[in-house]
Amino acid sequence: MTDPKESPQKEELEEFAEERASLLKITMGPLIWAAHFVICYGLVAVTCAKGWDIAFVRTGLLVFSLGSLAAIGFVGWNSWRQWNPWETGDYVNRMGRAEDRHHFLGHAAFLLSVIAFLGVVFVTLPLVMLEGCL
Amino acid sequence: MTDTRPDRSGLPKPSGPYPPTEEMLAEPVPEEVQAAQAERLRAAWATPKGFRYITAVNNTEVGKWYCMTALCFMLLAGVMALLIRAQLAVPENELISADRFNQLFTMHGSAMMFLFAVPLFEAISILILPGMLGARDMPFPRLSAFGYWCFLIGGCFVIGSIFFDAAPRAGWFMYPPLATEDEGPGSDIWLLGLSFIEVASIAAAVELIVGSLKCRPPGMRVNIMPLYAWYVMVVGGMILFAFPPLIAGDFLFELERSFDWPFFDPERGGDPMLWQHLFWIFGHPEVYIIFLPSIAIAAMIIPTVARRPIVGYSWIVLSAVGTGFLSFGLWVHHMFTTGLPSISLGFFSAASEAVVIPTGVQIFAFLATLMVGRVKMTLPMLWIAGALAIFTMGGLTGVMLALAPFDFQAHDTYFVVAHLHYTLFGGMVFPVIAGVYYFFPFIQKKKLSERLGRWAFWLIFCGFNLTFLPMHLTGLWGMPRRIYTYPTGLGWDGLNLISSVGAFIIAAGFAIFVWDLIRPKHRQPQIARNPWEGGTLEWTHDVPEEAWGVRSIPHVTSRYPLWDEPKMLERIDAGRYYLPDAEEGRRETLVTSVIDAEPIQVQRVTGPGWITHMAAGFTGGAFIFPTFHWYPPAIICAGLAICCIIYWLWTSTARPPEAPSKDAGLGLTLPTYASGPASVGWWAMWITMLGDATAFSSLIFGFFFYWTAQADFPPEGAMHAEAWLVGLAALGLALSWALTVGARELNRRWLVSAARLCLVLAPLAAAGGAAALVLSVFELQPSSHVYPAVLCALTVWITVHAGAGVIMQLYCLAGSIFGKMTPRYDADIWNVSLFWHFQVLAALVTCAVMGLAPGVL
Repeated sequence: MTDPKESPQKEELEEFAEERASLLKITMGPLIWAAHFVICYGLVAVTCAKGWDIAFVRTGLLVFSLGSLAAIGFVGWNSWRQWNPWETGDYVNRMGRAEDRHHFLGHAAFLLSVIAFLGVVFVTLPLVMLEGCL
Repeated sequence: MTDTRPDRSGLPKPSGPYPPTEEMLAEPVPEEVQAAQAERLRAAWATPKGFRYITAVNNTEVGKWYCMTALCFMLLAGVMALLIRAQLAVPENELISADRFNQLFTMHGSAMMFLFAVPLFEAISILILPGMLGARDMPFPRLSAFGYWCFLIGGCFVIGSIFFDAAPRAGWFMYPPLATEDEGPGSDIWLLGLSFIEVASIAAAVELIVGSLKCRPPGMRVNIMPLYAWYVMVVGGMILFAFPPLIAGDFLFELERSFDWPFFDPERGGDPMLWQHLFWIFGHPEVYIIFLPSIAIAAMIIPTVARRPIVGYSWIVLSAVGTGFLSFGLWVHHMFTTGLPSISLGFFSAASEAVVIPTGVQIFAFLATLMVGRVKMTLPMLWIAGALAIFTMGGLTGVMLALAPFDFQAHDTYFVVAHLHYTLFGGMVFPVIAGVYYFFPFIQKKKLSERLGRWAFWLIFCGFNLTFLPMHLTGLWGMPRRIYTYPTGLGWDGLNLISSVGAFIIAAGFAIFVWDLIRPKHRQPQIARNPWEGGTLEWTHDVPEEAWGVRSIPHVTSRYPLWDEPKMLERIDAGRYYLPDAEEGRRETLVTSVIDAEPIQVQRVTGPGWITHMAAGFTGGAFIFPTFHWYPPAIICAGLAICCIIYWLWTSTARPPEAPSKDAGLGLTLPTYASGPASVGWWAMWITMLGDATAFSSLIFGFFFYWTAQADFPPEGAMHAEAWLVGLAALGLALSWALTVGARELNRRWLVSAARLCLVLAPLAAAGGAAALVLSVFELQPSSHVYPAVLCALTVWITVHAGAGVIMQLYCLAGSIFGKMTPRYDADIWNVSLFWHFQVLAALVTCAVMGLAPGVL
């Protein structure tokens, strides 16, 4: 145990084992996008139909959008670390070893959180630019 | 993999060395052993001869029939398009009557979507995916066959209606009130016929998802599987969330057509907008369900022609998964002119623009691969190039139409017709034809003609642009869709004539293509085994053809194994890898783990049989007779279909094996049985129920949609469901669930009698619960208002599911008594309790809505 790098490697090995049933992990970013989209659309639709206070709902949703962006940012940061291209120097992960799969899932999750982040920004724009229901 | 202790269920674990070492793989297999193994495999996988040929369930046979049937429907729908164009060639034309014209455009759209584009994805995937994964077959061959026969029966029924002047005629999206009020059986044919075909789609989705998750070759981790498999998984998942809302919509629509329950009738509280929502929640993702698997074909062809690995594998995975998600946030862009609040339109407009990003990413990844590779301009690549050009143009008009103010102008004009044909030809027709040229040597062991292929390409490419490019202008100059004729002098005459000429040029191109496809090729010399020098596993196929799929299932360690491992082909042929033999003379394939594809089980798969035809025929009867309001024969057919399916499951699925484990080759011993999450059947149930839960959620969405859209829902003084009976129903169904789960747990602890007692009580509790639910709404008048109607629809849904649940419980009871299900071999009860997890959730939600909504809302 003289090499300080050994224990993080062990942790990583454990993480490979935990990954077995985690294909869904890469969809975390898009799932946050989907939840954000449904909540924005649903709440605004009910607010407009029932005559609730749109200004209040809009402010609430803008705060919620920031929260969603932060959550996606967190997922993205985590998956960037899992991909870890700067330390490994491998951006492609095309071979069939366990660590390739591990880094690949990180890469895919990272890219998906980028697209989810952009998606949330796009869907938030109408909340910023349009004030009322009409 | 040296741990040989049985796990908790008493089933053995995999044992032996894994992964195989180079020395193990280098060891030769004696010639006589090879020959004997090949003989046994050949016998086990033999395709039935003579008239029994149609009982085949092998993916290669079913896939071919599926493709050819979809092609026939496409040609019929294409002829309809030619008739439409002939009618529109000149102003005030009287070639076709207005009513016939309505039938033609409705059927053209419906057939191209439901009988060609979506089934063709299933067909091609069933045909080529096992080859790419080095699998013997799909995990459920009879399910594929059942899906195919359903598709054939339903498709003939729907498309045949046009020959009897009885076809649907309200447009392919069947908007109420036009479609609900329409006289004659047209709308019913659409609703019931296509619902029936959707069953086949969901069956195929289950098959393909489980196939790509669990039937990959050992070592093919998720980061090295062919991109096609990624796309198939994404599209399978999309089908599960897109088709069920339409099935729920069809269910409500048919209740309105048959029993006058006013879901879409505003006079009695209904709302036609609900149909539009349900239809387009299906309809928009469907466009991507068509597009993604076709572009997946491009993702297989491009690395081969560029002779290098794809650039940006992860980026393409991102774009497939990302597009899959974003495509569910676009549906309202078909409804921009329905008067929704502008801020709501804003969300959908924004999401419609955002989906361009992942779609663009994959196209740039393809272009990058071509740029850095050494491109050989083969015929498939020519079609892919055409596809990219046309699809990009369709995408650009899509960006325009996604802007609500522009859409207000262009809505329901020929501009939209031009846009959708550009996306569908570029996104589906061209890549699929490229795929036909590319995979034809794999499918038929023959090559298509280079010369005819180029003729077909240029005719279709030029004809297509001649037809649809002017339509943008026709639309901008104000010509609406779906009019059967138009007056002269509006500036539309010349443009329409050009479009009509173009349509016939496309038809000429298709005639050449189809001739090339079907012309006799027996004089052609034997083709090379890997004619395009591809790198993926489908090119290990046997020439001349063998029905076994793959001689032995290889251990894969890279994305393009044929490029990276030169010895692989020889070792596959020698039977050096896994499952080189069929000692018991039965069909088997290898099941591997989801993420890392470690071998975990040898799975028996079903062989040829007539039962699939009978099940499909009776299922067809159950859907087709109600079209003519003949309910007794429909009910009899439904009963017989259930009997057939039970017989099929009982005789050939999850039977206790003769030996608990067997030698899978390379020293590896694998169990022959799995239950619960380790088994393919459990995954199939999980996936099916996910789709079912989506349909149920759509009904609940309907309930709250009415509440949102109306000032008084539930209306003042309305009768409600009897609250105490609703409570009793919740109790009964929850008890039935608990008893089912209890039976599973008791059974695996060898308390068989107690488990059987639970399985006797569980159906009684379920029946009692369902009866209480029916009684709670018994006094309501569903045709009087949408509120009682929606309560009754929910009751029907839960009751029918409870009926299915009871049959499953009794099936397990019978299995336990007659030795099909034992404490060790208990896959059935695992699958049934999974069904009941979903059922109890749906029942509790329903009871909460029915019992609590009157007080809360």
